[in-house]
Amino acid sequence: MELADKAVGFLLTTISLSIFSYYTFWVLILPFVDSDHFIHMYFLSREYAIIIPLFAGITLLCFLSMFIGYVMLKSKKKSA
Amino acid sequence: MKHILKILGLLVTISAIWIGLLQASIVSSSYAWLLPVYLIILLGCYGLFMVGVGLMFFPTCPQESHLLQKDIAEAKDFLKRKGIDVNSD
Repeated sequence: MELADKAVGFLLTTISLSIFSYYTFWVLILPFVDSDHFIHMYFLSREYAIIIPLFAGITLLCFLSMFIGYVMLKSKKKSA
Repeated sequence: MKHILKILGLLVTISAIWIGLLQASIVSSSYAWLLPVYLIILLGCYGLFMVGVGLMFFPTCPQESHLLQKDIAEAKDFLKRKGIDVNSD
């Protein structure tokens, strides 16, 4: 069904645009804002800007290697 | 082999630019440290965006699909008449 595909595509685009704008704002623009502005309440402290992507990347790597290992084990069991 | 060399060359140039930025202090030091992470996230976002846009604007051709179904039915009929069974079970 094309509508489901279009909905998934739209969801992916919005997710990517929101992550891009949030991260750009967080890393590039926020250091120039005065430290008692209200906008700082909506963003975590800047160390998290490194910890969260690093954690996500490591989780992704773990998931990928687990998936590859699982597929390899399953194919070996089937051929044995 | 050439492809790996190209990719390695690109990586070396990018790291040289980054170390140059760190040393020359054109931008403040905290920005220069965060730049590689930002570039990687930017790359991931760009890939996701292209996938989403491709999904949204993928052209389906209903007429071609209809013609294709007719062709398949015709071929199945022809082969069945010649004695070969091509049922997709």
